[in-house]
Amino acid sequence: MPEVPELNPVVHGRLRLALLSLLSSVEEAEFTWLRDKTEATDGNLGAQLLKLEEAGYVRVKKTFVVRKPQSSYRITVAGRQALTEYVRALKKLLGPAADK
Amino acid sequence: MLDHNAEQELRDRLSVIENMLAEGRRTTESWGWTFVLWGIVYCVAIVWANLSHNLRAWPITVCIGVVLTILIASKRRGGTPKTTLGKTIGCVWIAAGISMCVLFPALGFSGRLGYPHIFFACVSAILGLANGASALIIRWNLQLACAVVWWVAAAATCFGSDGQSTVAFLVAIFLCLIVFGTYGMIAGTQHNKRRGLAHA
Repeated sequence: MPEVPELNPVVHGRLRLALLSLLSSVEEAEFTWLRDKTEATDGNLGAQLLKLEEAGYVRVKKTFVVRKPQSSYRITVAGRQALTEYVRALKKLLGPAADK
Repeated sequence: MLDHNAEQELRDRLSVIENMLAEGRRTTESWGWTFVLWGIVYCVAIVWANLSHNLRAWPITVCIGVVLTILIASKRRGGTPKTTLGKTIGCVWIAAGISMCVLFPALGFSGRLGYPHIFFACVSAILGLANGASALIIRWNLQLACAVVWWVAAAATCFGSDGQSTVAFLVAIFLCLIVFGTYGMIAGTQHNKRRGLAHA
């Protein structure tokens, strides 16, 4: 019986997966840009980004621009690896259906 | 074996990844306004220079264009992500802009910019290079077509009378700056309207 790969639960959340995918295609992105792209609420987005940060998948840089706080996020090496492994597992689970 | 719902959910995750990767890579279309702005700048400069024969028409109009570009770009920058692709394309256009800012004042002050043909051919060649480089980086055939139009204009403006040369340059401006820039702006707006995603 072939081994069924497990999906990483941290990456599997729909919004977290969207965030990791977005961040994997850019060097760095601000909170507002991530919010616009995902159309998530501030609270939900903040909570999901915190989970990714705690898992070591994203890194946050907080600065002040014209006295306003600004958070910039970038994906870490571990985050990129987790996303790659997730995609691999997903394709394995879907099998030939993944290409449909 | 996956049941239908599970398979659908996994497919949905796959499409989330694909959509978000595509979102992150979209950068060029939001710069449509610069093409339109510079199309207007060149047209104003040509009309002003031809009607008044004022030598300051080009320097003044181009300086206003540079200031407007910097002002609008700095206002729009908020919230834009840093991407390697975006930075690469930005560098190509900044280098093209610097080349023009160095070359044309030097030619003007040295008194060797006597023929409009030389000016139009150089501008067209530099814009062809910048468009061509951008198009090859992001693999966008429409922008590559613009590069080809600029290269054809660079060659065409070398021949014929002053008037014919001006017309060839104006045609390239209309197609590659005004039409292409307007398309970029419309495509960017439509994309923003279509966009929709994700809640955890």
